[in-house]
Amino acid sequence: MTSTAEPEVGRARLRKEDARLITGRTRWTDNMVLPGMLHMALLRSPMAHARITKIDTTAAREMPGVIAVVTGQDLAEEQGSLPCAWPITEDMKAPDAPAMAVEQVNFAGEAVAAVIARSKAEADDALESIDIDYDELPVVLDMAAAIADGADLVHENLGTNRCATWVYDSAEAGSGGAIDDAIAGAEVVVERTYRQQRLIPAFMEPRSMLVDPTGDQITMWSATQIPHILRWMTAAVTGVPESKIRVIAPDVGGGFGGKLQVTPEEIITFLMAKRLGKPVKYTESRSESLASAHHGRDQIQKLTLAADRDGTLRGLKVELLADMGAYLRLVSPGVPILGAFMFNAIYKMDAYKFVCTNVFTNKTPTDAYRGAGRPEATFGIERMMDELAAELSMDPMELRRKNWITHDEFPFTTVAGLTYDSGDYESATDKAMETFGYDALRAEQQERRDRNDAIQLGIGISTYTEMCGLAPSRVLGALRYAAGGWEHAAIRMLPTGKVELVTGTSPHGQGHETAWSQIVADQLGVPFEDVEVLHGDTQSSVRGMDSYGSRSLAVGGTAIVLAAQRVLAKARKVAAHMMECAEDDVDFTPGTFSVKGTDRGVALADVVVHAHVAHDLPDGVEATLDSDATFDPENFSFPHGTHLCAAEVDTETGRVRLRSYVCVDDVGKAVNPMIVEGQVHGGIAQGVAQALFEEAVHDESGTLTTGTLADYLVPSAADLPSFDTSRTETPATTNPLGVKGVGEAGTIASTPAVVNAIVDALRHRGVNDVEMPCTPMRVWSAIQAGGAR
Amino acid sequence: MKPFAYTRAHTVWDAVAAVSAEPGARYLAGGTEMVNLVREGQESPDRLVDIGDLPLTEVRVHGRGVRIGALAKRVHEHPEVRRRLPVLAEAGLSAASPQVRNVATPGGNLLQRTRCHYFRDVRFPCNRREPGTGCAALRGVNRNNAIFGGSEHCVAVHPSDIAVALTALDAVVHTHGPAGERVIPVEELYRLPGDEPNRETVLDHGELIVAIDVPPTPFAARSHYLKLRDRASFAFALVSVAVALDVRAGVTHDVRIALGGVAPRPWRARAAEDALRGRRFDDDARAAAGEAATTGAKPLPHNEFKVELVRRAVVRALSEVEGR
Repeated sequence: MTSTAEPEVGRARLRKEDARLITGRTRWTDNMVLPGMLHMALLRSPMAHARITKIDTTAAREMPGVIAVVTGQDLAEEQGSLPCAWPITEDMKAPDAPAMAVEQVNFAGEAVAAVIARSKAEADDALESIDIDYDELPVVLDMAAAIADGADLVHENLGTNRCATWVYDSAEAGSGGAIDDAIAGAEVVVERTYRQQRLIPAFMEPRSMLVDPTGDQITMWSATQIPHILRWMTAAVTGVPESKIRVIAPDVGGGFGGKLQVTPEEIITFLMAKRLGKPVKYTESRSESLASAHHGRDQIQKLTLAADRDGTLRGLKVELLADMGAYLRLVSPGVPILGAFMFNAIYKMDAYKFVCTNVFTNKTPTDAYRGAGRPEATFGIERMMDELAAELSMDPMELRRKNWITHDEFPFTTVAGLTYDSGDYESATDKAMETFGYDALRAEQQERRDRNDAIQLGIGISTYTEMCGLAPSRVLGALRYAAGGWEHAAIRMLPTGKVELVTGTSPHGQGHETAWSQIVADQLGVPFEDVEVLHGDTQSSVRGMDSYGSRSLAVGGTAIVLAAQRVLAKARKVAAHMMECAEDDVDFTPGTFSVKGTDRGVALADVVVHAHVAHDLPDGVEATLDSDATFDPENFSFPHGTHLCAAEVDTETGRVRLRSYVCVDDVGKAVNPMIVEGQVHGGIAQGVAQALFEEAVHDESGTLTTGTLADYLVPSAADLPSFDTSRTETPATTNPLGVKGVGEAGTIASTPAVVNAIVDALRHRGVNDVEMPCTPMRVWSAIQAGGAR
Repeated sequence: MKPFAYTRAHTVWDAVAAVSAEPGARYLAGGTEMVNLVREGQESPDRLVDIGDLPLTEVRVHGRGVRIGALAKRVHEHPEVRRRLPVLAEAGLSAASPQVRNVATPGGNLLQRTRCHYFRDVRFPCNRREPGTGCAALRGVNRNNAIFGGSEHCVAVHPSDIAVALTALDAVVHTHGPAGERVIPVEELYRLPGDEPNRETVLDHGELIVAIDVPPTPFAARSHYLKLRDRASFAFALVSVAVALDVRAGVTHDVRIALGGVAPRPWRARAAEDALRGRRFDDDARAAAGEAATTGAKPLPHNEFKVELVRRAVVRALSEVEGR
């Protein structure tokens, strides 16, 4: 082991996991084959709301290769209710959530029967022989109608479609004034209603699980983001002791929050394997995935922004309806609440009020999707800032500058009660504006307007921030979340000089193996190549809270640093003993201990061996240098940045072409700039997807009509411009690495940047909104409705 | 999925004989369409006759034009097709994704089934799939459906891009069937749904498309395909326009305009052609053609936008082809 001159952290290293991921020579759950393994297929309800009046499985049982056919009635005793870990209010209404529908189906795509057969094809074939009758019930789809008096009910026994109403009021919380006073006293009040369409996470690897009941522990492989939580919750739901369950998330192909779930499919597979005593595998089809895996977003936002004529913000009122779908999944009710602290964004104002009503409908349940609550909030405020600027005839960036927290005001406690530790909105914005060529584009915009060009140009701004590093456990507790937000890391110093890092984070495409190796290499002074990162197996990774909410680096990375410090603290004692000096006289430069002021030294590798063989250790020192640590953050981290989008809108066809996209993100210290870049690119693409392309559409019967990737328009590189991405680095003060998190930034920032650009292109034609996704048809219709031809 | 038999044919006549002999037999070529239909349940054949080995893969230029074998791959990349028939090359390139284009065939493309959601989702009634069950699209989400040529029984659109281009090129298909060989203009290959939406083409059971002939015309070389869709790749047309133009001394001598994404078959916009023929080829004429292209449009609740899109797309396609 030698120390490297150049620090690993900050290097744009190629990802060590990519070769196996790209070639597929690795363990995806569906690749795995166990002796005697059986296959499961699920029959799903075509009805969005119906009573099951008959299920006859006789014929299916007779089909070749079929081992078992089960219905919800057969599982009713064992399947319990799927967990919701976030009861946001004391009086929240939560329906029973059976993994398999028993008497009633509440969304199209809900599982109603399972076939287990010797092959997947035989299981699929047998599904067609299940005879099932439904008695249709009225379908509840529209949120406003759902909470009106006399509405048809999704869950009759709850007596209402209103799940919960959650309020944050700055006057009550003491973080600001009363919103009604702010609005009443303001010179300008802008009101808008925006719709966050329903989205589908659309991860590329379908959900897949394999449960092996052989042996004392039941082992479940699953394409999940959350092996640790899944183990805990599977025990809670099925009553099988947690100690008898091992969960492994092998390589996982994407999640975007869509695999932050304890799914009906996992519970059903688990119960069937347990019942049959044989390994059972289930992998969903793409259509099943789009219809049944949880969806995201789906909010109606009523926003009221109050300001003075000079642009000074007075207050913001946010009234949300959030569609839960038919059931509450793991964190469904909490997703909109995460937005409560972000609608005020980077701006200073006197008063703020947030009221969110969660509503049940007969649609696929919603839950976390990249950004989870924060993209909704950022969209709302960034759109409103543009609307206010238009109302005041101010440049939209000028309005933002006037109101944002300046770099010398940090730490800053916002009107929503969070304390932002750091940030420099001026630097990021100045850099972005210069690269973008803001003034030249404004001039071109004017010129195109003057000659009434068919192609109009718009400039969209999004100066976002987000809360990352989920989450301080005490904050989660205050928000009634059922778990903590800490993270764990363990370092094993192997006697051969190699290092194993066991992390509680659970990568599913992020590149943790590379970034975590870089951190360990710097902390200990070992070569990057000598670090092996282990994750995703509850047997080796004994503690963890998994990956979501841009938490892995800010929380899990910090745990690594703390564990490394413990390794070194122990090593220092052993090194002092080896060099026969006082511990205080020991110096550490990466890889080597030395006696201060002498040339006497001992390599870390030798200390590792010394501690491992334990032939001669100082009193009170245990064998091996292995150490672990758990980190619970004091505060969130707050990445921020400025995204600028230039969009050409064809006023004849309504087609939008993104001409240029410039962003400067401040995610704190970048451990691996190439990974940061990748996250920003993918994030922007997913945010643009919401702005222009994607929407889960249900027809009047509650059937998803965008149930394939031919209909659900995930964009490709051909639809996107080349992104100009760069960074400023204002280190976070809340963790030793100075990192903030980057997994969601692009998605949060880009959606309003794009829509603001489209509206900006058309504002002179009387357009002040285009509902997302801004398809050619919607843009064209908005131009027609604007009327100023 | 229902079990089916699989046969590999080695000659055209073997193939025709095998499919003709069995009402439940179907051809299998590239498989990009048939395999999906079988998996999803819109088709449940008793037998698939694989014609992938048949010697129908050539693209040949001869005195009577361009002959394209029914199994030719990536026809849009063929240099003579690109030079002589730009509208066909552009239409071929705009279809599907590279992966699909690598294995799909022209014959299969022409006979692909509608993308109407309610045809594709077997849980819904669909007169095209199951005669007499009704049309869910009429009252459903019908944004992508027809504005021309539909009936009260079916408003599906034909999804092929190259069929639209071939219609504008006066192309014909050659078939071998149980009753012998025949030649059918591409435009006449398709039946309008009327009250029998399940009968999609004029082909008899077992009749096999073996080649497509594009005749030499004075308008083929100056042609263009404009496809408007929801995303830039792997998306079907909302509206597409194939134009082929013969302008002499500034006057339109002859022209073909065919529309895609708007009707159960490639939709020849004859009124638009008439608006151009014999007139100066200028902005006024193009605007008149755009207007005329919408003649007879009957939009559904969700697709009224297609009428205006057709008008503007025709004008734009004509403007873009002008410089060629």
